[in-house]
Amino acid sequence: MTPPRPAAPAASFDAGPAVRIHALDHLRALAMLAGVLFHAALAYSPLLGSYWPAADRENWWGVDALAWLLHLVRMPLFFLVAGYFTASLLERRGMSGLARQRARRILVPFVVAWPLVDGSLALATEWAAAAVAHPSPMLRLIRDWLAQPDPPSLPPRTGHLWFLYYLLLFSVLLWALRTLGWGARLERWMEKGPQHLAWALPLLLWPGFMATGSPHPAPESLLPEAWALAVFGPFFALGLGLHGRLEWLAPLQRWLAPGGLLCLGLYALLADHWTTGATVARTAWAPALLEALIAAWGTLVVLLVGLRFLAQPSPVLRYLSASAYWTYLVHLPLLFALQYPLMDLAWPWPLKFAAAVAATTTLCLLSFELLVRRTPLQRFVG
Amino acid sequence: MNFGLNVPVIRLLIVKDWQLFQKQLAAYVLAGFAALTLLGLAKPWAFYLGSLALIVVLVAAACFAIATSLLVERKEQTLAFVMSLPVSPLDFTAAKLLGNLLTFGVPFAVLLLGTLVVILTTPLPDGLVILALLLFGHVLLAYSVSLAVAMQVESEGWNTFAMIGSMVLINPFLMAIGQIEAIQGPLRGDAIAWSLPAALILAGQLLVSAAALAGTAWWQGRKAAFY
Repeated sequence: MTPPRPAAPAASFDAGPAVRIHALDHLRALAMLAGVLFHAALAYSPLLGSYWPAADRENWWGVDALAWLLHLVRMPLFFLVAGYFTASLLERRGMSGLARQRARRILVPFVVAWPLVDGSLALATEWAAAAVAHPSPMLRLIRDWLAQPDPPSLPPRTGHLWFLYYLLLFSVLLWALRTLGWGARLERWMEKGPQHLAWALPLLLWPGFMATGSPHPAPESLLPEAWALAVFGPFFALGLGLHGRLEWLAPLQRWLAPGGLLCLGLYALLADHWTTGATVARTAWAPALLEALIAAWGTLVVLLVGLRFLAQPSPVLRYLSASAYWTYLVHLPLLFALQYPLMDLAWPWPLKFAAAVAATTTLCLLSFELLVRRTPLQRFVG
Repeated sequence: MNFGLNVPVIRLLIVKDWQLFQKQLAAYVLAGFAALTLLGLAKPWAFYLGSLALIVVLVAAACFAIATSLLVERKEQTLAFVMSLPVSPLDFTAAKLLGNLLTFGVPFAVLLLGTLVVILTTPLPDGLVILALLLFGHVLLAYSVSLAVAMQVESEGWNTFAMIGSMVLINPFLMAIGQIEAIQGPLRGDAIAWSLPAALILAGQLLVSAAALAGTAWWQGRKAAFY
C-alpha cells in the first residue's frame, strides 16, 4: 500500500487557490528567456549554418558550445514543469477539468496561433528570400524554390508550436494510461528513490536520442515522432510523479556540484563529436548516450538549483513567468522579422545578436502588456 | 423537441455505456497512437505495420463496441433491469443506437482524421485519400450492419457471424476495388481524383449504413413492449 502523501503544495496555474511553488514559476520564466536566446543564437551557429534560414554570414563555435547545452536541458525542463502543473490540475479538478483546461489553454491557442505564426514566418521568409543581399544557404534554397513556376507546396508542420502539440498528445496518453490503471506504476517507480531515477532516466532516454539526429531537431511533424515521445515523455512523467513531493529530490542535492561539473565534462565530449557536423535521422550510440546523460542529469541539476536558489518570490521573475506563454507564441516570428534585415548589416555578430534578443524580448513583453495582461486573452495565454 | 422520449434516462444509459467502454477506448487510443507513431517513422515496413495496426484497431473497436453494449448485456440479463426503469423500448433503442455510435464514432473519427493527416502531410501520394475513405466506408458499413443485426437478432451465433463476416469482407473488398482501373489509376497520383465508381461505392456505403441504422430504429421503435 502506498503511504499517504502530505498535502500537495500545488504549483501556480490558473485553477483555483493553490500554494505557489515560486521556484518552478521562476524556472519556467528563465527557460523561456533561454528559448529566445537559443533561437537568436542559431543565426550565428556554425553547426546550423546550412539549415537555419536566418543564418548570418558570421558565426562562432562558442555559440554552438553554449546554445546546444541550453537546448539539451531547456525543453526537458519545460516538459517536467508542464508535467508537474498537469498533476496539480488533475488533483484539483479531475480528468474532465483537466480536459477542459487543456482545450482552453492549449488546443484553442494552438489552433488559433498556428496559422498566424506559420503565415507570418512564411511572409518574413519570402520577403527575406527576395530582399536580403547576403542570404543564408537555406534562404538561397528557398529563393530558388520560390522561383519555380509552380513550386510544390510543403506539408504542414507545427513549427515551434510543437511543444503545445506534444502537451496535447501527452495529455491524451495520460488519460489513456490512467484509465487503464497504469498510474500506480509511476508511483511504484518513484518509490525506488531519486538515486534510482538518476541512473534509470538516462538509460530510458538513450534509445530516443539514438533514433534522431544530433543535436536533436524539433519534432514538427503532425504525426507523433517516436524519438520525441521517448525523450520528452519521461520528463513529463517525472513532473507528474514529483507533484506534491519535491522534497523527494533532496538526497540528490549533495550531487549538485559534482553532477553539474560532470555534465560539463560530458558536454565537452559530445561537442567533440559535433566537430564533424550535425547528424541527421540517426545518432551513433556513444553521442546518443552522452546526450541522454546530459539531458537527464543537466535537467535535474537545473531543477535542484532552481529549488534551492529561486524559491523566494521575485516580482520580475513572476512577471516574466506570467508572460512566458505569450512570449513563447510570438517570439520566433518577431525574431525572424528582426534578424533577416540584420543579415545585410556590417555590424559585428555579437551586436546583431544582442540587438535581436533585446528587441524581441521588449516587443514580446510590450505586446503582452498591451494585448494580453488586462484583456480576455489572459484566460487563454496569460 | 423530444418525440416523447425520456431524454434524461437515455442520457444516463448512454453515459453508462460510455463509462463501461472507457477502458477499451483507452486501449484503442494507445494502439492507434502506436500505429500513427509507426507511420511517422517514414519507413516502408513501419508504414505497412502501422496501416495494418490501424485497420486492426478500427475493426476491434467496432466489434467490441457492439459486443460490450449489446451482446454481453444480453447475456448478463441487463435488459431485465433496464425494464424496471421508466424507459420505453424506443428510449432503450435510442440509447443503444446513440451510445454505440458514440463509443464507435470517437475512435473511428480519430483514426480517420489521423489517417488523412498521414496521407496529406507525408510524401505519400494524396490520391490514397480515396482508398482510405473507401476503406473506412467499408468498416462503417460493416459496423452498421453488425449493429443492426445485434439489435434485431438475439442469437449469439448469428451476431458473431455478422460481425466477423462483414469485417473479414474488407479483404475481398480491397481486392475488388483494386480491379477497377478508374479507382486504382489515380491512387499513386498527387491529386485527389474522384472517379464515378469510387463516388458511387462511397455513396452506397454511406446510404446502406444509414438505412441499416434507420431501419433498425424504426423497427425497434414500433415495439410496444420489450418482449
